[in-house]
Amino acid sequence: MNMQQAIKMTAAETALVDAYTAQIGDLPGDGSVLSVRDTLVHELKTAGLPTRRVESWHYTDLRTLLRAVPAADPSAFADRVDALVTGATVLSVRNGHADVKGNAPEGVTIRSYTDSLLDGSAAAGLAVLGSDDAIGRINGGLVRGGLELSIADGTELEDPLEIQLVQSLGQAHTRFPVSFGANTKATVIERHLSTNSAESLISSVSDIVVGEGADITWIVLQQQGAADTHLGQIRFDLAKDAKLHLFLINAGGKLVRQEIHGKTSGEGADFKLRGINLLGGESHTDVTFTLGHNVPHTTSTEIIRNVVFDRAKGVFQGKILVAKDAQKTDAKMACNTLLLSDDADLSAKPELEIFADDVQCGHGATVADIDHTQLFYLMARGIPENKARGMLVNAFVAEIVEELDDEPLVEALESVISTWLEKHA
Amino acid sequence: MLEIKNLHARIAEDGTEIIRGLNLTVKAGEVAAIMGPNGSGKSTLSYILSGREDYEVTEGEILYNGENILELEASERAAKGIFLAFQYPVEIPGVATMQFLKVAMNEQRKYRGEDELTTPEFMRRVKEAAAELKIAPEMLRRPLNVGFSGGEKKRAEILQMALLEPKLCVLDETDSGLDIDALKIVADGVNALRSPDRAVIVITHYQRLLDYIVPDTVHVLYKGQVIKSGDKTLAHELEANGYADIIEAAA
Amino acid sequence: MPAVQETIDQVRQIDVDQYKYGFETTIEVEKAPKGLSEDIIRFISAKKSEPEWMLEWRLDAYRRWLTMEEPTWARVNYPKIDFNDIYYYAAPKGTTGPKSLDEVDPELLKVYEKLGIPLKEQEMLAGVQKSKIAVDAVFDSVSVVTTFKEELKKAGVIFMSISEAIREYPDLVKKYLGSVVPPTDNYYATLNCAVFTDGSFVYVPKGVRCPMELSTYFRINEKNTGQFERTLIIAEEGAYVSYLEGCTAPQRDENQLHAAVVELVALDEAEIKYSTVQNWYPGDKHGKGGIYNFVTKRGDCRGKNSKISWTQVETGSAITWKYPSCILRGDGSRGEFYSIAVSNGHQQIDSGTKMIHLGKNTSSRIVSKGIAAGVSENTYRGQVSAHRKAENARNFTQCDSLLIGDKCGAHTVPYIEAKNSTAQFEHEATTSKISEDQLFYCLQRGIPTEAAIALIVNGFVKEVIQELPMEFAVEAQKLIGISLEGSVG
Repeated sequence: MNMQQAIKMTAAETALVDAYTAQIGDLPGDGSVLSVRDTLVHELKTAGLPTRRVESWHYTDLRTLLRAVPAADPSAFADRVDALVTGATVLSVRNGHADVKGNAPEGVTIRSYTDSLLDGSAAAGLAVLGSDDAIGRINGGLVRGGLELSIADGTELEDPLEIQLVQSLGQAHTRFPVSFGANTKATVIERHLSTNSAESLISSVSDIVVGEGADITWIVLQQQGAADTHLGQIRFDLAKDAKLHLFLINAGGKLVRQEIHGKTSGEGADFKLRGINLLGGESHTDVTFTLGHNVPHTTSTEIIRNVVFDRAKGVFQGKILVAKDAQKTDAKMACNTLLLSDDADLSAKPELEIFADDVQCGHGATVADIDHTQLFYLMARGIPENKARGMLVNAFVAEIVEELDDEPLVEALESVISTWLEKHA
Repeated sequence: MLEIKNLHARIAEDGTEIIRGLNLTVKAGEVAAIMGPNGSGKSTLSYILSGREDYEVTEGEILYNGENILELEASERAAKGIFLAFQYPVEIPGVATMQFLKVAMNEQRKYRGEDELTTPEFMRRVKEAAAELKIAPEMLRRPLNVGFSGGEKKRAEILQMALLEPKLCVLDETDSGLDIDALKIVADGVNALRSPDRAVIVITHYQRLLDYIVPDTVHVLYKGQVIKSGDKTLAHELEANGYADIIEAAA
Repeated sequence: MPAVQETIDQVRQIDVDQYKYGFETTIEVEKAPKGLSEDIIRFISAKKSEPEWMLEWRLDAYRRWLTMEEPTWARVNYPKIDFNDIYYYAAPKGTTGPKSLDEVDPELLKVYEKLGIPLKEQEMLAGVQKSKIAVDAVFDSVSVVTTFKEELKKAGVIFMSISEAIREYPDLVKKYLGSVVPPTDNYYATLNCAVFTDGSFVYVPKGVRCPMELSTYFRINEKNTGQFERTLIIAEEGAYVSYLEGCTAPQRDENQLHAAVVELVALDEAEIKYSTVQNWYPGDKHGKGGIYNFVTKRGDCRGKNSKISWTQVETGSAITWKYPSCILRGDGSRGEFYSIAVSNGHQQIDSGTKMIHLGKNTSSRIVSKGIAAGVSENTYRGQVSAHRKAENARNFTQCDSLLIGDKCGAHTVPYIEAKNSTAQFEHEATTSKISEDQLFYCLQRGIPTEAAIALIVNGFVKEVIQELPMEFAVEAQKLIGISLEGSVG
């Protein structure tokens, strides 16, 4: 395929390019930052949004699915909401504008990402991950704000940090480079919300570097509105003996693509992904994950649970790469789905790409309806069918949440799940 | 209490006929043992009584306290007091045993038009019953039957039976996979529930369990029919001579 | 890890050079001029005395092919193929079509004897062979002989080369050719439609159980020649047939192209079992030469309760691009795919299946065993989909990879697509190596490394071997041993 050939731009492509042109004098950063932005927007213009012919977008034809892009509205206002759990330090980002005031916990340095764009230090991080990185391209071209966090070596945070992104309407493009020093321990909640039913489009990239021996839990809770488009990306890099437990809950949005791309760079690194996708209405939700086991002796497990109602469509693509010489890799991936309506739809593509022989790798995928034996067991104990079904669906996902070793957090997430299920089941 | 008349039933999926004209009457207060060789339809009978949808009744009826229950859903039958102790209790990850017990007890009460239990009252009942059956409170916090040993699973079944206070208990091969100590605990649990207004059906392959839960009547099931009934001596006879003689005599 | 190191060393020496079917036979041939054009297609069609509609069909396909692009999604790398540097037609002189056994050039018969292919009916009748197997022998672009034709005819079974069938049974061919793999299907399939030369045609009438195994043996002999095989099998209501294909080619420095299309049609309650033992020349240990094997195989379970089962043992070819698939259209139909793919040296395999569930109560089963050694790349790529109306679709997929040595790659790329809530799909994949414990246990019991590997590998692939017709199971097992161990068979 000739990527240079000019294409006939769709309404959404035109809107994105126009958004760039309109803001060009106003977007933070010049020199190197501006030159990267120019390249990215030029690529968007020539290649367009990815179609199903691009392998990594096979099940999410963004060019067709993204019909329109709401215009940015700089005057729009959004309210803060309460923290997900009491005691959490809330870092507020409203309609893409990060608030850097307020008190950071000890050991945590917070800087405005806009400043990094202005002084050019953000330029290198704006590069895309590959020619199919549409999210990196859109975000890199249009990003205005976000937060840069750095957590000093040895810091152990008792309470979670909540990066709270509230969107009322229009567009927002944010970035969060976060670096955890050696032997740090922390929980970060990246929470995406919308305050009303107006249509919005957000892109957000979190770039997480986990230092030696650090133990980090990162939770992405996506609860955007039923008309919203969410283009999220998590990048991570794990040093020696670093642990990252990434928790993903999708419980909102109309068109959602959540990408997770990571690698292990030090021996003994351990990665865990736990994902819950609650899908209903006419939504389209895609979770795409790649993990490079690049050095020997690293481990990972991934468990994704999808619950699909109504006319929703779910996609999970997961790819585990084991590099040459990355011996003793232990990687397991599972994707389980409950299809709960006749019009629900799910596609899964769990891939293994292995170049080392002394490894233990596997994946499993299941698609099924509720287990009839379990249903009968519950009914034989006097629980009516509807209630029994609800319990089983809830159990199917709650099981994953319980792995979090934090009582208030577990309760808060379980309540998000049960509220969602009550509304949709 | 229970009257099964000329029952015929088959597997819904492939139409294999399993129960072929079965008659059985069990009175309140009675402990009835149903014995029979493998494949005689013992487990199928327990599933049909409790309303499993994988089986289709093609003829006959099941009267429970005079009411034909064939049209009732499994949960309705349970609420009316029919309890099946499963041969293989089902593991349900993600549902804590405690949560499950509470929902089951309250849903049954709701169906019968009774008030739901308050949490302290519920806790009190569970603690008492668990202590009787030597079940550690820790086990009740684990997901239902997940990671339970064979004995733990069976004890959890009996615990449920004690808490739900059924009128008709069907024990499907409850002795399978149990060592002698576990067997005694289970049998004690069942015996404690014996009362004049409650009936128990013990389905078993061996005489062993009947040493601990002594039956009033014994019925031999073969090819989907009761071919012989008697008192507890019939079980001893079977233990000594096997099924062959009785099958021959009935043929 | 002394034992393992030894294993790796041994495997490293694998001589793809010991490919024992690598001889070349000098036979006078008649060729079309090199290159591809409408004239060449007219030439082929004329050589086969085809009716006009067949020629038109070919030309339509050719014109479409000119507008198509070579697919790039598979995990295989090879230099661009110059489609004008290939001979599209080569036939032993004087052969215009299959004759009776006595008329076949004795040189040709010798080739098949050397390959171990039973062509002599009388020998089989005399009980030299354990059971009867009817063979269609395709040499470069033509079928040279088809055995047991008469006997099969008595049972109502038509078994002949597709070229003959086009002439003798035009209505049947017209009705089914291209009905499973449409001429527009993909780059290589479309090319095949334009230039296919020979292959087999099987028709099993209503209620007939084909009285013997049918088989086609493909041999590429000529230099610079592509082979474009076309096979069509039709099983009418209640019919049953088991069919096996084998293939080999001489050892050459240049790459040769084999682009086949196989179509299967199973009507109500019919069953087709299709087995392949693919042993094209894989290239030498430096990756020089070898067959490019781009194959489109698809079965259509058109009737209710019909069944199509693919079993493949893939040990040869430099490049394999092949996805024998089932379209489960009839209610209650069933598709199966059992595969062993062994790659060694510089071989690249991208193979798997598609199970497309369209009808109600359809089921499918996929068992894939990939073994990678040397510096090879071995990819399983498979799709399982249940469409909106495919109520109670069931699939079970098991896909295991075994790596021998640390210079090769094993990859698994499944596509699972469910659009019906009553679908139940189960997919499992594992990647591992021969465990040191297993190997040590064998060694301790006195089994040498080479034999131990063969033993373990055979255990690994057993489930699939069992699906092969008995006569071929032993051969396949041996073949796997040879392609892995380096011990001359």
